[in-house]
Amino acid sequence: MNVRIVGGIVAASALAFVLAVRPAVAQETIKIGMTSALTGPYNEYGEGGKRGVDLAIANWNARGGINGKKIELAMALDDQLVPDRAVQNMRKLLDNKDLAGFIGPAGSGPTLAVIDMAAADGRPYMNPIAQSPTVTYPGGGKPTANVFSFALQNDVEAKVLASYVAKRFKKVGLIHESTAYGAGGADLIGKELKLQGGAQVVGLESYNQRAQDMTAQLAKLQRTGADVVMCVGLGADLAVLRRTMARLNFSVPLVASNGALSIPYQEGAGDLVLGTRGTMIGVFGEQPMNPAAKEFAEAYKAKYGADRWWGSDPSRPQIFMALSVSNAYDAANVLLEGIKRANSTDPMAVNKAIEGITSLRGVNAVYSFSPAKHHAITEQDVAVFEYAKVGDKSQLRVAKD
Amino acid sequence: MDFFLQLVFAGICVGAAYALIAMGLSLTFWTTKTLNFGQGSLLMLGAVALTALMAAGLHVALAVPMALLGTGALMVLVERVAIRPLLGSEESMGWVVSTLGLGFFVQGFVAKFFGSQAISVPSIVFESTSFVSIAGVQVSAQSLSVLVVSTALMLGMEIFLRVSPWGRAVRAVAHDEAAASLAGIPVRRVVVLSFIASGILAGLAGVLLSQINGTVDPAFGFNLMVFGFVAAVFGGMGSVRGAMVGGIALGVIEKLVGGYLSSAFESAIAFAILMVILVWRPQGLFGQAEINKV
Repeated sequence: MNVRIVGGIVAASALAFVLAVRPAVAQETIKIGMTSALTGPYNEYGEGGKRGVDLAIANWNARGGINGKKIELAMALDDQLVPDRAVQNMRKLLDNKDLAGFIGPAGSGPTLAVIDMAAADGRPYMNPIAQSPTVTYPGGGKPTANVFSFALQNDVEAKVLASYVAKRFKKVGLIHESTAYGAGGADLIGKELKLQGGAQVVGLESYNQRAQDMTAQLAKLQRTGADVVMCVGLGADLAVLRRTMARLNFSVPLVASNGALSIPYQEGAGDLVLGTRGTMIGVFGEQPMNPAAKEFAEAYKAKYGADRWWGSDPSRPQIFMALSVSNAYDAANVLLEGIKRANSTDPMAVNKAIEGITSLRGVNAVYSFSPAKHHAITEQDVAVFEYAKVGDKSQLRVAKD
Repeated sequence: MDFFLQLVFAGICVGAAYALIAMGLSLTFWTTKTLNFGQGSLLMLGAVALTALMAAGLHVALAVPMALLGTGALMVLVERVAIRPLLGSEESMGWVVSTLGLGFFVQGFVAKFFGSQAISVPSIVFESTSFVSIAGVQVSAQSLSVLVVSTALMLGMEIFLRVSPWGRAVRAVAHDEAAASLAGIPVRRVVVLSFIASGILAGLAGVLLSQINGTVDPAFGFNLMVFGFVAAVFGGMGSVRGAMVGGIALGVIEKLVGGYLSSAFESAIAFAILMVILVWRPQGLFGQAEINKV
C-alpha cells in the first residue's frame, strides 16, 4: 500500500473524528431556528418577526448570553406563508438536532400544516401570530406540551369585540370572510354576544377574499336596520367593505378584527377609516409605554430606524407593531428565559420551565403560563382602537365613548 | 322596491366593468381569433402606472393618457412576442400559454418594483363618497362613470366599425384575412392597431375599476378578467353589443342572487344560470353561429 494513500486515510479519519465531535463543541452556543414569510406579500409579518427574534437574541448576548453561552439564530428559513414550503422548512429545522427551540410561521395556514410535526418532536415551539386557538389547544381542552402562543387568539379577540359591542349597540350586522378564520371568528362573536346579552345579531353575511364589491351583502344588512357592522376579515377586504358602505350611504360604525388597523386597510379606505374601530394588542397605544416596550422600541429604532414596520410617527411605534415585530421578540425572550431557568436545552425541562413562568414583564403583556394555559395574550392585553381626526390626519387611539 | 333597485343598479355598474373588459378581449379576437389571457395584468398595469405617474407629480389630465398609452404600447409587444410567432400553425394553442405567461411576467415585474402589497390609487374625478340619486336610490358616482364610459365606448365602436374605412377594414380582416389582404387592406397594420386599441381599453378599465376598489396590487385584475371573459362568451364572442349586454346581465344576475338567495353563492349561481342559457344558445346572445361549409 502506498504511503500516500495511508496518509490520506489517516487524515480523513482524523477529519471524520473532528466532525463527529463538533456538535459537542457547538453546544457552547444555544441555537434556535425559525421559518416565516421572510419575502413575498406577507413579509410584513415574517421579516418583522425575524427582526424581533434578532433583537431579542442581541439583547441576551449583550447581557452575557445564558450561563456564559452565546445565543444564535442558526436557521431562518423563508416560507412566504405557503403551507407546503413551511412543511419542508419545518422538516429541515426538526432534522437539525442542534436547535434548542423554534419560532413558527406567520399565519394560521402554514402553522396548522406544521404544528403536528412540531408537537411530535417535543422541542419548544413558539407560535408568534397564528390566531387559531387550535394551534395550542388542538382538542379545545389541554394544550400541547411544547407549543406556546403569543398570538392574539381568535377567541380572545371575539370576546373583546363582543363585549365592546354588547355595551354600545343593539342590532348587529355581522359579516365575515368565507374562510375558516372568518367563519370561526363570526361564530365565536355570535356566541359571545348571546352570552353577554344586550345586542342581537340581526343579519349574517359572508364574502370571498378579494371580492370587488359587497353591495348585495351590505344592502341586506342595511335592510335589517343594523346599527353597527361587525366584520372578521383582512385589511384589503375591509377597505372594499368600507367603501361599499359609503356608496350605499350606510353610515353606521364599522367594528372589525385587527385587520382594521393594518396598512392595507388604511391605504384602501383612505379618509373613510375615520370612526372605524378594531381590536389589537394594546401595548403601543398605552400612555406611557411599559418599560419593556420602551426598551424594545429604542432598540428597534437604533438598529432599523423609523421604517415601514415602525410607522409614520417617529416618536412612537405604530400600534400594529405588536403583531409584526414585538410578538416574535417576546416569543424568543420567553423561549430563552425557559432555557435559562431549566439551565439546559433538554426539551422536557425547558417546556416545564416555561410553564412555570409567572408575571414576567414582556413587551405585549405580562406573561404567566401554567400546565393548563399556554397562550400569552388574554382579554386585558387587548384594546379596541378607533381612528380619530387629529388636525387634518386620522390617527389611531384607544376607543372611548 | 328600493332594495331591488339598489341591487339592479349595483349589478348594472359592476356589469359595465365586465363589459369594458369583454370589449377589449373581443378586439383581438376579431382580427386574430386569439384572446389575450394576460388582459388582467394589463388592467393592473394601467392602474399602477397611473398611481406612479401621479405620485411623480404629473397632472391627472396627463397621467391618464400616458398610462393608457403605456398599456397600448405593451400590447404591440404582446402581439409581436406572444401571438404572431405562434400563429404559424392553425392548430397551435401556444398563444394561450404565451399570453398567460406574459401576464404573469408583468405581475412579477410590478411586484419587484412596487411591492406585492396593495397600494392606494389616487381619486381622479370622483371621491368614493360622491353619489347621484336615481329613483330615490343612491348610486356611486365612480360606479356610474364606469357605466357611462363603457356605454359611450360601445356606441363609439359600433359606429366606427360600420362607418369608418378602418372599421370596415377590421371587419374585412375578421371575415377573411386572405381575401382582405388581396383586396389591398394592410392586414398587418389592422391587426397591430386592434391590439393597441385592446390595450388602451384594458388600461382604461383598470384605471376606472381601481377607482372603485381604492387600491391596486399585482394580482388585481385576474378575477375581473375571468368575469370579462364570461361576459364576452355569454354575449357572443366578438360582438360589442353582446359584450355590453352579457356583462350587464352577468352583473345583475349576480347581485340579485346575492341579495335574494345567498351572497355566499352569488357567483356560483350566476354561473349556473349562464351555463343553462349557453346550452340553449351556444353562440351567445349576439354571436353568429359558426357555419362550416364542407
